[in-house]
Amino acid sequence: MFEPRIICFLCTWCAGAGADLAGTSRLEYTPNGVNIRFMCSGRIDPEHVLWAFGKGADGVLIGGCHPGDCHYMDGNYKTMARVALLSRLLDDFGINRARLRLEWISAAEGAKFASVMNDFTEKLRSLGPMKPATREMAR
Amino acid sequence: MVKVAYYPGCALKDRSSHLDASARDAAERLGFQLDELESWTCCGAVPPVSRERVMNLVASSRILKNTRDSGRDLLVTICDFCYNTLKRTNHRIRKDEITRRRINTYLAQEKPERDYIEETASPWTDYAGEVRVMHLMEYLRDVTGYDEMRKRLSRPLEGLKLAPYYGCVMLRPENEIGLDDPEDPSIIEGFIEALGARVVNYPYRTECCGSYLSVSDPDVSTRLSYKILSSAAGKGADAVILSCPLCFHNLDSRQEAISRVFPGFKPIPVFYFTQLLSLAMGGDRDRQGFSRHHVDVSGVVDSIFAEKERQ
Amino acid sequence: MKRIGVFVCHCGINIASTVDVQKVAEEVGKMPGVVFATDYIYMCSDPGQALVREKIREENLDAVIVAACSPNLHESTFRTAAGEAGLNPWQLEIANIREQCSWVHSDREKATEKAIRIVKAMVEKTRLNESLDPISVPITRKALVIGGGIAGIQAALDIADAGYEVILVEKEPSIGGHMAQLSETFPTLDCSQCILTPKMVAVGKHGNIELMTYSTVEEISGYVGNFTVKIRRKAAYVDWSICTGCGQCTEVCPAKVPSSFDRNFSTHGAVYVPFPQAVPNKPVIDREHCIHFKTGKCGLCEKTCEIGAIRFDQEDQVFRREVGAVVVAAGYDTLPLSELKEYGAGRVPDVIDGLAFERLLSASGPTNGEIRRPSDGKVPKEVVFVQCAGSRDPERHKPYCSKICCMYTTKHALLYRHRVHDGQPYIFYIDIRTGGKGYEEFYHRAEEDEGIIYLRGKVAKIFRDGAETVVWGTDTLTGKNVEIRADLVVLATAVIPRKSTARLVRKLHIQAGPNGFLAEAHPKLRPVESINSGFYLAGAAQGPKDIPESVAQAGGAACKVISLFSRNRLEQDPAVAWVDEDLCGGCRICISVCPYDARKFDEEKGIAVVNEALCEGCGSCVAACACGATQQKNLTDVQIKNMITASLGGK
Repeated sequence: MFEPRIICFLCTWCAGAGADLAGTSRLEYTPNGVNIRFMCSGRIDPEHVLWAFGKGADGVLIGGCHPGDCHYMDGNYKTMARVALLSRLLDDFGINRARLRLEWISAAEGAKFASVMNDFTEKLRSLGPMKPATREMAR
Repeated sequence: MVKVAYYPGCALKDRSSHLDASARDAAERLGFQLDELESWTCCGAVPPVSRERVMNLVASSRILKNTRDSGRDLLVTICDFCYNTLKRTNHRIRKDEITRRRINTYLAQEKPERDYIEETASPWTDYAGEVRVMHLMEYLRDVTGYDEMRKRLSRPLEGLKLAPYYGCVMLRPENEIGLDDPEDPSIIEGFIEALGARVVNYPYRTECCGSYLSVSDPDVSTRLSYKILSSAAGKGADAVILSCPLCFHNLDSRQEAISRVFPGFKPIPVFYFTQLLSLAMGGDRDRQGFSRHHVDVSGVVDSIFAEKERQ
Repeated sequence: MKRIGVFVCHCGINIASTVDVQKVAEEVGKMPGVVFATDYIYMCSDPGQALVREKIREENLDAVIVAACSPNLHESTFRTAAGEAGLNPWQLEIANIREQCSWVHSDREKATEKAIRIVKAMVEKTRLNESLDPISVPITRKALVIGGGIAGIQAALDIADAGYEVILVEKEPSIGGHMAQLSETFPTLDCSQCILTPKMVAVGKHGNIELMTYSTVEEISGYVGNFTVKIRRKAAYVDWSICTGCGQCTEVCPAKVPSSFDRNFSTHGAVYVPFPQAVPNKPVIDREHCIHFKTGKCGLCEKTCEIGAIRFDQEDQVFRREVGAVVVAAGYDTLPLSELKEYGAGRVPDVIDGLAFERLLSASGPTNGEIRRPSDGKVPKEVVFVQCAGSRDPERHKPYCSKICCMYTTKHALLYRHRVHDGQPYIFYIDIRTGGKGYEEFYHRAEEDEGIIYLRGKVAKIFRDGAETVVWGTDTLTGKNVEIRADLVVLATAVIPRKSTARLVRKLHIQAGPNGFLAEAHPKLRPVESINSGFYLAGAAQGPKDIPESVAQAGGAACKVISLFSRNRLEQDPAVAWVDEDLCGGCRICISVCPYDARKFDEEKGIAVVNEALCEGCGSCVAACACGATQQKNLTDVQIKNMITASLGGK
């Protein structure tokens, strides 16, 4: 079975804390992702996403606070806008925009984090590996 | 003479054609011509209460689009219902892009782009709410100006005590119509004063007359109309003035029924605003269709002419 | 190259049962620069921490990674330990292989592989970590309190009692706020003046409080701990430094000005003290209504004042003060009757608002506590109280609940019954909300024992008919329309922010919510702080609040200020934004995205700079920076990319 590589960019306050809660609740999910912790999802630069695709990621998950919950007022709104634009850019690169996923995950939503990871892994399995030429584009 | 695009609507062409005549007459006396659209259809009349979200707007959209395509950016109506329908449709088209696209899709199907270009020698452009919809009363207030009206009075209605009646659809919903405050309006009051008459303040001026219930449940309409009319009369009004053919129907023709249900009720004349406007501007009493009123208005009309003679 | 040490924790069996910790240490140990790698059963235990300290010294480590539980648990523990061993704490990082690895996977091989990637990514990050020092700024231990209502008074007293200086700024001539206008307070019915006046006097006398009434904040600059504020004191045309407050001038003034304190039920002269218990008890001259200012004549007050305190030539004065923290207690207003068109638009004389009724109830009010209606002075026998007048009405007015009206209306009806025994009060309500200590009991007492008629429904219309005021409403419990011919109608008008609050928000660069009330940093966990550091919120300027809540919040805000002042210097996380001055093109996008006002444009250099004291380290500006000039310390784009590469098994 194809095992996709996933990079998860998580804000520390909500999505990161949600991922921790999935751990303390012992909710098992697929081990395909590696989490990178940010203070705020608003720190995530579209370049980071493209870099991940260029370096071998099959999917990128961005996890932030629910709208209105951002620890820094409105960082997640900025992320939302950036992801919307980046998704259109991915089309131009020939990268399926389903490979980039934005999720609002609160610190209380350990179960949501686990199910998002399972679902995303499944989705990426069905999409299959990214073509080397496409990957080259992201670089 | 300035021509203003004019949409009469069904009632003003049939049952209330005398009101249409008085409006045209008054307008000309004020220096503008109500220029009826070349071809027009029903405005849809009931979209406000219909559940369908798009089809009910097509008829009124067509009227608005034709107005724009004929090179006019202002459309005047004298019926509260037509005003409400056209203005709200325009509002939706301006504010809601999806509705705008869907409506234009329907309109384009009626008249394919090819035919359109042949007829008008210009390419199809979506209607996007370019036309401004105005009630004649609004036109008088904002374009002509009440002060200007006062200057042009040839037969001021001095001594006449008039009770303004607003009904429901002229002012509501506030955020879409934006003509005046629905809870504390003043546009008809200003109109009355511009004609030289006195305003009678009474609490029922913005209450409902029963509207279409006069068809399905006339008793309700009778009761509500009674409250409005008796309140106005109780405050000393000589007559009620309004701007909606349906309100006119309820408040005027229902007075016989009111007299049966509420003994002691004294009939009170009801005028359409265009009639008094025409008279005040020197119009002929025979052109106002007073014979079609259920309640005799001759007393009030006589006093208007008598007042003029005294001067 | 940095010498890096890696410590992999077993956490008993919590990590070791699913992750092969020896293998992790072994694999990571092969990375260039990793000079030491080991595993240990409990890294957070004393021997575990000792091991870290020992190896830092022995191996001369420049950086350390502890692969263990979530950084939220022990990051500070290990950073302290590293600091004790002489390593800069920001050279230590935690790799989370428990919550985000061993606890959520069962396949040992895959979990081990993932753990290796996690630790390797952290090695790559740490490789480029800089040694940082906490940002340290000095603090001016003096607070500014804006607003002299009960919230501002309480906050000022609490801070002053803790030994710090306070400047209390109030725009009216006297402190006291709306509470000074109230008669009795729910649910205990103690007299408002009696409990407020001693606090007002305490403010006036407190050695640590500089009271500046008839003054407004004009401008503020600086940042937490170090604000400079300009305060404008309006010309009172009375020299307060020599005025004894004897009141002679107020008695001789022939002008008649409606008293806003008495909701226009009484008048005072153009030279006036707003109410007898005012603090400071010194008069001001209302220039607009003063005969001397209008005609150049009169001057009766000047002639009367024996000590010569009247100064027609006085001008506004602007004062500069340095403060370290600001408490914003700007208070509230109520929706003007003129906005309520359906209720007569303020033109029906016997339709008044709740604050006006308070003045009628007040023993020191314009009627000495007798309830007389405004139109003809008659004692009203039928009184209708309308709740939610403008509140909970998203179509026409305010969408929110004004919170205090259910209780004060019940109090009004009850006090009315105590004054007019044969009178009949009616209360129209949507819901009765009694969430407060003793509130529900108070409401029950009113409903069951006091003969108040509660009608559940909204009032549609109010108009005048002869001497009576007619109220049309609906009783939704019987489904009937109700018409009451009342002698007096009292509207519980919506609580709204003061008009001046919007101006204040702009001046202070703080935030307000959609309804204009001041926004708190977090609705649950930081309810008394503004999102902007150094600003604290108290009272109804932040949202509708009754007296106990305002006092509690003011105390909370004061505590925050005191806790700030208790430190010698302010220390903040140094992982903030940083600008490469050579790269910055001065486009200012960063300034527009910063929620903290921490980015400023340096006109001289033509670049955007970071105020480290204000920066919270969110990184929004870093992501927005088009040319990469702005970076976040210890989380630069290069570090992030290296982490990504390492996570994906690349080099």
